[in-house]
Amino acid sequence: MKKTLFLNIILLFLGTKVFAQTPKDCDCFIQGIVQDGVTKQPIVGAVVLIKELNKGVSTDAKGFYRIANICQGKYTVIGRIVGYEEKTYTINLEHGAEQNIKLSETELHLANIDIKAQKIENLTQNKTSLENAALDQTRGQSLGEALKQISGVTTLQTGSSIAKPVIHGMHSNRVLIMNNGVRQEGQQWGSEHAPEIDPFVAKKITVLKGAAGVRYGSDAIAGVIMLEPDALPDSTVLKGEINSVYFTNGRQTVNSGIIEGGFINSNSKKASKIPYAIGYRVQGTYKRGGDISTPNYRLANTGIEEVNYSLSANYKRKNWASDVFFSQFNTQIAVFSGSHIGNVSDLIEAIKRGSPLPIYTPETFTYNIGRPYQDVLHNLLKIKNTVKNRSGVLSLTLGRQYDFRKEIDILRGDKNLAQLFKLNTYTGELLFEHKPLLKVLSGSVGINSLYQENLTTGTLTEPRSSTVLIPNFQNFTSGVFIIERIVRKQWEIEGGFRYDFRHLNVYRIPRGEQNTINNQRNNQNFTGTVGVNFRPNARWNFLTNISTAWRAATVNELYSDGVHHGAASFERGNENLNPEKALNTSFTVNYVSQIFEAEFHLYNNFINNYIFLSPTGRPALTIRGAFPEFLYTQTKALFQGFDLTTTLQVIKKISLNSKLSYLKAQDLSHVQPLIQIPANRIENTLRFDHKKTTISLTNLYVAKQNRVPTRIIFTDIPNSEIVFNEYGGDFAPPPSAYTLWNAAISRQFAIKKTSSLNVSMTVSNLLNTTYRDYLNRFRYYADEIGRNIVFRAKYSF
Amino acid sequence: MLQKSFKNPLVLSIILGLALFACKKESIDTEDENELITSVKLNFTTNGSTQTFAYSDPDGDGGKTPTVSTISLKPNTTYTMTIEILDESKTPVNNITNEVANEKDEHLFIYTPTPSSLLTYTYGDKDSRNFNVGLTGSVRTGAAGTGQLKVQLRHQPPVNGTPSKNGSTSPGSDDVNIDFNVTIQ
Repeated sequence: MKKTLFLNIILLFLGTKVFAQTPKDCDCFIQGIVQDGVTKQPIVGAVVLIKELNKGVSTDAKGFYRIANICQGKYTVIGRIVGYEEKTYTINLEHGAEQNIKLSETELHLANIDIKAQKIENLTQNKTSLENAALDQTRGQSLGEALKQISGVTTLQTGSSIAKPVIHGMHSNRVLIMNNGVRQEGQQWGSEHAPEIDPFVAKKITVLKGAAGVRYGSDAIAGVIMLEPDALPDSTVLKGEINSVYFTNGRQTVNSGIIEGGFINSNSKKASKIPYAIGYRVQGTYKRGGDISTPNYRLANTGIEEVNYSLSANYKRKNWASDVFFSQFNTQIAVFSGSHIGNVSDLIEAIKRGSPLPIYTPETFTYNIGRPYQDVLHNLLKIKNTVKNRSGVLSLTLGRQYDFRKEIDILRGDKNLAQLFKLNTYTGELLFEHKPLLKVLSGSVGINSLYQENLTTGTLTEPRSSTVLIPNFQNFTSGVFIIERIVRKQWEIEGGFRYDFRHLNVYRIPRGEQNTINNQRNNQNFTGTVGVNFRPNARWNFLTNISTAWRAATVNELYSDGVHHGAASFERGNENLNPEKALNTSFTVNYVSQIFEAEFHLYNNFINNYIFLSPTGRPALTIRGAFPEFLYTQTKALFQGFDLTTTLQVIKKISLNSKLSYLKAQDLSHVQPLIQIPANRIENTLRFDHKKTTISLTNLYVAKQNRVPTRIIFTDIPNSEIVFNEYGGDFAPPPSAYTLWNAAISRQFAIKKTSSLNVSMTVSNLLNTTYRDYLNRFRYYADEIGRNIVFRAKYSF
Repeated sequence: MLQKSFKNPLVLSIILGLALFACKKESIDTEDENELITSVKLNFTTNGSTQTFAYSDPDGDGGKTPTVSTISLKPNTTYTMTIEILDESKTPVNNITNEVANEKDEHLFIYTPTPSSLLTYTYGDKDSRNFNVGLTGSVRTGAAGTGQLKVQLRHQPPVNGTPSKNGSTSPGSDDVNIDFNVTIQ
């Protein structure tokens, strides 16, 4: 999996000659050494920049830098090193009245900050991370909800508790999630199946937008989401963190804790003994929430309960390291009772009614989780070993995931089980990162493999039932890849390619038949990437990248055949689907100056054989009534758009952050827009920072999605058979545009030297606005969540 | 030294890896399978003789087209009508009528003739809260003519312990929603 190189920049903040008579002291300086944490080699030519002053210097031959003549104040220090991730730190060079001039310089202003920057694996693609304060602001939310902070990322929702991340209009199997270096394998094909991940495991969540097939797996057509914990400690100090969150809406409480520490055996006594270090971490989360409320009514059966924990440990020697990680995710999510839809006439009745019946909007609040509900268990075990030698770094990562999903429906006679899915996945990756060849060419080669078995009925080869949503299957994929890059002073060129093979073995009983059928499919393909990063000076950075990715049809796309409850649709798979292939071109510009920061990301994602579910307009008659029929089909699709993020320092202490996302997704073959594409949106945040207090006010405007399909695309269906054609096969027109206001206040308190307390209060949907979102499956019959006041406390020690 | 340390973790990985892979054969054997209704039978009795009309879809949703018999009744006659709901894909046949009878408080049959002059349905049974059920009732046919009879079974389960059945169609969802052609002659 990912090989992380830690880069330590040691910043020394030294304020000298603090004269009492000088009102503003401009004799402070910042200096330090930049070095690669693994090789301990100084890094020459790294740029260290003070954003507010637009003062920047490069490190010298010893990795040393010094920026002098700085006035006291609060500054943002940016470290930029080619080949490493950019790092931003906020420092306070403020002299409080209590500071004593007689203190020696070092006592007064010396500060050591270890900047842990990860070596970037993909340099020429757009990446955005949530960490530190930005991540803290999302604590308690689901992964999907948290990622909405990143422009270009939206969610596909089922009510307010089930949220799937959508990157540039695509989701589910097109978005790869790397959980701690292992690709997440759950039942991600389902639109109401949220990622089985506790975001508290991660200290940093990164979204890589665009096709990233070469490094992470050929199916990363829309992008990759990476969740990374902090590196395990290699000191004996016991550290920890406690997070508590309370949401007024749904009276949800979330508590999460981390404890970490280590042992060190240094070689001071016996020279012959090799020093080693052991680090460990224990983490756990408990979440419980009850029925949530929209501005006008409460929604029955919308509670949630979650119990998650993870354990990790590592063992490090001079040239090798072993890591073990285990996590378990357990959730029970109630599904709104009013969403249980029998057939299309039920759905149409619910749409006509406008709001749910009183029985589904009770006055009394409860934490009870009744039927229908989802019960999901996900285990991940990961073992990683890393060895360094003269020629590079070799690592082997093995993972096992077990995903057990139960969907419990409302059945007669207290019958229990509706749909069960058991998925076992084994992953392995062997990666070799070689040292620079000819001093300019660095890169890595790797092999990854995956084997999985899915069970929904009987045993693997002997299914018992034909009424399952997806059949039993075995899936084997394996790929080899190479990525190389040339780094020059201002230029960086990256290229790579990958070959993948996939074997799918399906055991199923076709509907109405008795005997098991075995279907086998093989797919293979190449993917490639090429990109350039140009950094003419400290202010500007340009990235451009062309990448391909491909994805073989998944079992639900191939073999679905039945009613999808809640969606009130009859979905049929198509055995003849070809793999879809994406060609993604992107261009990103970054600009940083004293008062203005901007990132503009432009993309063009062309997908041949794009697989999607399209309405036929025909009713499928069942004993439960008529259901509109949907077929999995393929087309040429084009996703074009841009994300723009800017931050303007209006005046000292006040800044304005704006995020704009625009996306146009077109079905090229049928010359009409694609269905279920997130609407364009703009978000503006006005922020006031004073010492350790931050106050912000956010306005989000989401436009109406006017680009929706207008007609049925299947030309072989006679017009006389088409019944549901009013909204191009949809059941209702897209909801209107909406505006939401959010407000937040947070403050940090230092307690002793090593511990701190952060508290914040956030109000989302401040004005209790009634609205519906196009990408919420409940939009047909219920409003979105109303005002929600969130209290957060984080105690670090 | 380097060689040795190179091997160690790899060997360790392989051993641990094998440990990961050693697992038992799994199965899913649910006693309560996804509920399926394949047949709805209407029994009309008058003067001791019974006629049965069925809607039958033995392979479940999709697949082969269901077979539906046309209800043929005499004009201006009163019939006793009972309904049966079956899963005929199982052996022995799963009689869902009994389950509905056991849970009358959360089920409601609705019979809707089109045109409404075709016949009149009168409920013959009540649940514990005195709401109609419709497992048994009577049908009074009108004058000779043709039309349709819609048969619906509303499943109206309680919401968090509160009964949702209130005598009206609205709560819950359709478990059965079918149309029979009717000829009165």
